[in-house]
Amino acid sequence: MKSSLVRQTLILVALASLPGIGQALYFRDKVSWQSPVPASEMVTVAQARAWGGNAIWVDARPDVEFEREHIPGAVLLNEDRWNELLPRFLATWSPEKRVVVYCSSQSCNASREVARRLRDEAQLKNVFVLQGGWEEWLKKK
Amino acid sequence: MTSTPATLSFQPSTIPRFVRRIAEFIVGGIFIYAGVIKALDPIRFASDIDNYKILPWAISVRLAFYLPWLEILCGLALIARRLYLGGLSILTALASIFIIATIAAKIRGLDITCGCFGHASKNWSFSAHIALDLSLLAALIALCICERLPRNSS
Repeated sequence: MKSSLVRQTLILVALASLPGIGQALYFRDKVSWQSPVPASEMVTVAQARAWGGNAIWVDARPDVEFEREHIPGAVLLNEDRWNELLPRFLATWSPEKRVVVYCSSQSCNASREVARRLRDEAQLKNVFVLQGGWEEWLKKK
Repeated sequence: MTSTPATLSFQPSTIPRFVRRIAEFIVGGIFIYAGVIKALDPIRFASDIDNYKILPWAISVRLAFYLPWLEILCGLALIARRLYLGGLSILTALASIFIIATIAAKIRGLDITCGCFGHASKNWSFSAHIALDLSLLAALIALCICERLPRNSS
């Protein structure tokens, strides 16, 4: 029984690698393999502040957290109400502006997802993720 | 007009087997569903794995392309009862690792989305995640125990 368990486990482990490798090859140009967000798409609080009025701050946190406090002038755009909030955001957007998306902290991934959807679904360029998110903003306030 | 006890009498051995097959279909189906959802959006799943802050991104993204297919195959193994022992042991290991990682993330105060069922589970609470995972693990362990029992008792 033990040998058949090991054999079956190895077969399944090997079989699963085939579609996995195939899919990875298909996505090879669409994925950042070394870091979750390429360095070129990250921005620090200081850099984003330096953009002044050319930056649109996008808050990707849940509504409750946004209502509690947010970066002055930030627009709420989270995945919970994406379809409802996206048109509101696009009304404030213009092509020459840089979009800075943030969520609660370095460990959250809402900002990455919102930034990705803005690039992929809304076809926007100049979309950046704020390093450290809201927590970092508070530290540098 | 008396029937033989073998044909009409209650046979307890048929119930566990029947229940076991249902459990295999449910557990296998859940893992197939979870795997398909993640295989459809591997980049999001990579992001979810990375959120646990246990593995470097380079490994998270590679696992994101691999784990969904492993879940799908193991789920199919459970339903088809082919490579059954292997599928059962892999799924038990995956469920255990996932529960430990989720609890560890909670203790470390990480703001995580589990990503277990893609968008469907995005707003689940921590307790909902853990309850489902523990139920799956319990079912998998029960199936392991059934598999180890002598055939005449199953």
